[in-house]
Amino acid sequence: MPYNYKTELQRYRKYYQSLEPILKKSSSRAYTAVIFSFLAVSLFGWYAIRPTIQTILYLRREIVDKTEINRKMEDKISALIEAQAVYQEIEPLLPNVDQALPSQPDALPLLVQIRNLASRSAVTVTTIQLPAIPLLGEDNSQNKKSTKTNTSAKPLPVDLTIGVLGQYVSIRSFIEGMIAMRRVVAIDGITVSPYRTGSESSQSAIQHSRLIQLVLKLRTFYITQ
Amino acid sequence: MQNDRDLLLISIFTFFTVSLWITFELLKTVKTTTVSTTTQQIVVPLSSTIDIDTLTKITNKRVY
Repeated sequence: MPYNYKTELQRYRKYYQSLEPILKKSSSRAYTAVIFSFLAVSLFGWYAIRPTIQTILYLRREIVDKTEINRKMEDKISALIEAQAVYQEIEPLLPNVDQALPSQPDALPLLVQIRNLASRSAVTVTTIQLPAIPLLGEDNSQNKKSTKTNTSAKPLPVDLTIGVLGQYVSIRSFIEGMIAMRRVVAIDGITVSPYRTGSESSQSAIQHSRLIQLVLKLRTFYITQ
Repeated sequence: MQNDRDLLLISIFTFFTVSLWITFELLKTVKTTTVSTTTQQIVVPLSSTIDIDTLTKITNKRVY
């Protein structure tokens, strides 16, 4: 139904006419002005001033952040260029690092090195004990499980025990050679004992009495990617 | 008169509430960074220093 202002105006006249005596009081006019001022400031503050100032502050913050990011990016680019230069410089040495800390247990190459060291030091390897590690190929033991859970490179230990027999000078040379070996090997324990056999002739007993039996508890490492 | 005072108090409290709300919103805007987490990860400083001494020591070790 369309709005008929002639009849409807008469109908609502009594409401706005009743406001007239109230607004004639100066105190009421002042109160009304102050109340509507507060409400207007609140309303426009929330819907107009706040978004505007918020946008201004956001843009200012964005400028500061972008400037900072730009500076950090430039620093990182410089660092990357320097790192690339250093990397090119040391690139020939990187295979040595792989030899020192291989990506697989590489037990066989280690044993070959120990055998060569033993023959060079004139000692006899009597025993070698290795844990259950794959000699070649992929690692299917628990080390691989831990590799999957680790995202960063982490050195994993492999314990081994070696028993050698030889004279004091040879044993000393063997230990020094073990320390000087490129493959990272930590000596966890050393047991030195005189070599004794059961029934021997007197001459061989004297010769054997100079022999020393050495048991080395070693710990070598390999790094997982 | 009493009615006017009540309305005035309500409008004043409304004004203060809205003012505080706006203030905290603006403070939050100022304090919140506009840089995404990915960008923050990208700009993590990179050290180009490589321990040459250790590399030299490894190189000087022997392979039997």
